[in-house]
Amino acid sequence: MNNRILEVEDLSVEFSTYGGDVKAVRGVSFAVTRGETMAIVGESGCGKSVTVQAIMGIIPMPPGRITSGSAKLDGNELLGLSPKEANEFRGIQIGMIFQDPMTSLNPTMTIGDQIAETLVVHRHKTYAEASRQAIDLLEKTHIPEAAKRVTQYPFEFSGGMLQRAMIAQSLACNPSILIADEPTTALDVTIQGQILELMDELQRTENMSIILITHDLAVVARMADEVAVMYAGQIVESGSVEDIFYESSHPYTLGLKSAMPSNIGDRDKKLTPIIGSPPDLFSPPHGCGYFARCPYAMRMCEDMQPTNFSVQRTEDHHARCWLQHEAAPAVAEVSQSNQDKDNAG
Amino acid sequence: MLAYTLKRLLAGGITVWFIATATFVAMHQVPGDPLMNDKAVTPEIRKNLEQKYGLDKSATEQYFIFLGNMLRGDFGISFTQQNRRVNDIIRDHFPVSATLGLLAIFFAATGGVLWGALTAIYRNRLPDIIIMFLVILGISVPSFVFAALGQLLLVNINSMLGQSLIPVAGWGTFAHMLMPSLVLGLGTMAFLTRLMRSSMLEVVNEEYIKTARAKGLSPVRIFFRHQLRNAILPVITVLGPQVAAITTGGFVVELVFAIPGLGRYFVQAVQQLDYTVIMGTTVFYGAFLVFMVILVDIIYGFVDPRVRLE
Repeated sequence: MNNRILEVEDLSVEFSTYGGDVKAVRGVSFAVTRGETMAIVGESGCGKSVTVQAIMGIIPMPPGRITSGSAKLDGNELLGLSPKEANEFRGIQIGMIFQDPMTSLNPTMTIGDQIAETLVVHRHKTYAEASRQAIDLLEKTHIPEAAKRVTQYPFEFSGGMLQRAMIAQSLACNPSILIADEPTTALDVTIQGQILELMDELQRTENMSIILITHDLAVVARMADEVAVMYAGQIVESGSVEDIFYESSHPYTLGLKSAMPSNIGDRDKKLTPIIGSPPDLFSPPHGCGYFARCPYAMRMCEDMQPTNFSVQRTEDHHARCWLQHEAAPAVAEVSQSNQDKDNAG
Repeated sequence: MLAYTLKRLLAGGITVWFIATATFVAMHQVPGDPLMNDKAVTPEIRKNLEQKYGLDKSATEQYFIFLGNMLRGDFGISFTQQNRRVNDIIRDHFPVSATLGLLAIFFAATGGVLWGALTAIYRNRLPDIIIMFLVILGISVPSFVFAALGQLLLVNINSMLGQSLIPVAGWGTFAHMLMPSLVLGLGTMAFLTRLMRSSMLEVVNEEYIKTARAKGLSPVRIFFRHQLRNAILPVITVLGPQVAAITTGGFVVELVFAIPGLGRYFVQAVQQLDYTVIMGTTVFYGAFLVFMVILVDIIYGFVDPRVRLE
């Protein structure tokens, strides 16, 4: 059995606007391993949400447009399907939860009906059967008094409880992948911890893969097995969570890390921001998207798109940066495959 | 829910009292009185009449007499129509206006929701452009123009068929009601279409629609179960005042179609300063409006669960 449950190849998405075409996602490739968690991390507007929404086929088209690429779930193509064909996998094989649980549920339908609806549509159950199963699902996500809760409306739930209900809803048909689009961003920190714990637990009991989208490196460190760092519509570095944190090979990953607050060391130390702002995706730069903000930028970075170098320290660790070229100078902070060679020489 | 309803009814009662008082004061500020229209009233006759109708009393006294009678549900006798009680006028003619108005509201609401939903689906495409053009016409062209055009259309249809399928004017059967209620509801229909359209377009961009799509629901199901019900809420909100506006505002349409509704008496009474009829119809219509708004608020609670608990 192929260990890769989802394989995304060279995905590009554009949006037509009055100001021109926004190239939101530019050739993204990644793969999700069965039963593992893949985190996509990056700042606002880097295209991480658009990437997963394109896979789910829920980008409004128009104005959205998938210009190239493929996404294969167990070998079956997901892109370019008709709504009817797409509904054969949406909600069944892939479940999805969103950033703001407060607005992600229909305010005029009971929680129970919304969970039951998935089962009625996909599993052809009656509403009575489906409602009973909805109670089980809510219990699975540790919502107390589930039997009473199913008859309530979203406005009677707290934010954390709503996100639990969203998870229950997305689990209804036992999906093999759960896509979580910033699931804890709208929640406070304690609730955030509980939701992550729940996702962790369900991943083990349900044996599903998770695609976790976040801008929070702490969440990544806690949850992820594999990480893809996105910047300006591209994946700039990908690898195992250890690779990303301990062998950071792209200056942007380094920048994210140093912008993160730490509870060890000097408390008076100021956080180091990444100076500048991301490039205009109406006309993406010819060279590296990070060129203008990169402290290690070289002349060639401005004009030439860096290739996706394999950082040969570990398997599957890639960085889209010219510093990984064998002719590039060694930089102390950046892990380079040729560093050993340079040091030796 | 019961406490809420009672509270609303009590507040409604106070509103009606305000309406009654304001109308009374305004009416007595207008120069002239109901007896002015009668030809050659000698001072003696005038005095006798004033005594008979209580017009010789001070305004304050008249106000309290009026309030007392109103509480007993008696609006008195018309000044200008021989021996006709205002209660009888309302009882005879309001049902006609109400039937016409409710039918008009029915056309307006169903049409508004339907066309509004349709324009939202076909946003910026030909059906949307055509319907929105007609909506502008519906809002800006006054109802008597549509009334005349409607009659003309009926005349043409009838003469083409060689028989009177739908009567051009008058009142009595259901066929009589069709054209006037359609004409009366047209403006409101246009208004509701616009409201429904913008509401639909707002709901389409809601997060829960994205959730519904991610759940793998069919577009038809999403439209009916998730979009429509949420989009219809603002339409219901304005329906209450619109019901009252249509039932009371049908005067012109009633006139063109020769319908014996209450509107005619309402306008006539104002022209002739028929105090009792003015007071009676105004207070009655005011109470009707207040009641309709409360009714719609209660219905709203059934559609939107968030309102129910408050």
